[in-house]
Amino acid sequence: MDRGAAGEAAETLAALEQLRKRTHRRAHGGAWLPALGVAVLLLASVALYRYPLSQTNSIDADYPFWAGLPDEQVSPVASYIFWFVGTPLLFAGMALWYSWRARRHGVRAAWQPVVATGVGVLLLLAVLAAVPTGPLPDMLINREGPHWGGLLTPLLPLAAAVVVLGRVERSRGLVTAGVWIALLTAWLCTTFPLGHLPGWFSRMTGGTDLGGHLSLRPGHYLVLMALPLLVVAVVNLAAARRAARD
Amino acid sequence: MPHVTEPRPGRPEATGQPPHPATVLDDVVHQRVRLGVLTVLSEAHECRFATLRDELGLTDGNLNRHLRILEKAGLLQVSKGYEGRRPVTWLRLTRGGRAALRAEVAALEELVSRIRAAALDPPEGED
Repeated sequence: MDRGAAGEAAETLAALEQLRKRTHRRAHGGAWLPALGVAVLLLASVALYRYPLSQTNSIDADYPFWAGLPDEQVSPVASYIFWFVGTPLLFAGMALWYSWRARRHGVRAAWQPVVATGVGVLLLLAVLAAVPTGPLPDMLINREGPHWGGLLTPLLPLAAAVVVLGRVERSRGLVTAGVWIALLTAWLCTTFPLGHLPGWFSRMTGGTDLGGHLSLRPGHYLVLMALPLLVVAVVNLAAARRAARD
Repeated sequence: MPHVTEPRPGRPEATGQPPHPATVLDDVVHQRVRLGVLTVLSEAHECRFATLRDELGLTDGNLNRHLRILEKAGLLQVSKGYEGRRPVTWLRLTRGGRAALRAEVAALEELVSRIRAAALDPPEGED
């Protein structure tokens, strides 16, 4: 092997890398719409809370937290309908989108995991639906946490769907966004009231053993949850448009 | 399955040295068009025959010939279906195909870095 062979091999590698990038843009350039869809669903769920942005002295939260976060809902039935209609509609929209892209670009996205996640989300929600609703259990009113029962929320299946979507679309941003939604949901739903900081965390930040409280409302938290998804959607759409121009 | 080279006496691997990357290159994969096919399919879950043909700038017959070789080696799967009334052929990389491409690219990278390193070393006796 001589320098000519090395040059040839280097040229081959460079050409393959170009081809790989071009195919990646074509195959995964449509991730922005599902990301945007999930973000819109999260943001639309702000309307399910009685006091989405304003502070209130007391809250009357129904359990399970059908709106998503443990706060007072306008109507638990409306919250329930929102997620049970909204989530299938979102997945149906995703399916149509990927089907259209496959016809237009000649490249199929990995349908099976997406469909499996969609069905999985529905099954999980159906399991959640079997749990009777009622007033907050005493254990949740007590400030000692974590309260694992709070994890019965439609936000976690959605977070799982975003993680799987990220794997399918080979997008670290989407995987991170899904994990972010899951972590935020897990924290918010296992502590009560909303935004409660445990004693150990408060101690770490120079507070007391009694813990603390962030004065954010469900609307603020939902915007925080949707933010990484919106960033991924904008970046992906910009890359797709740039690729289309080139 | 990808072609595997057995170690033979006198060859580097028989003497305990790591094999030269050139000996690891797979004859089935180490071909410009077939490398292109595997690269495109590695990024897509499934790709239409016509899309692949246009992307690589080939004729139907030429691409078909290479696809048959790759399919026979178990590196890709071919499935046929319809879009409306139009027949469509979809191609998908197998696990073996993905591994073969990864090995090929790694061997090429190793080859390039070895030759570049050798080019930077001064010849013996020269300071």
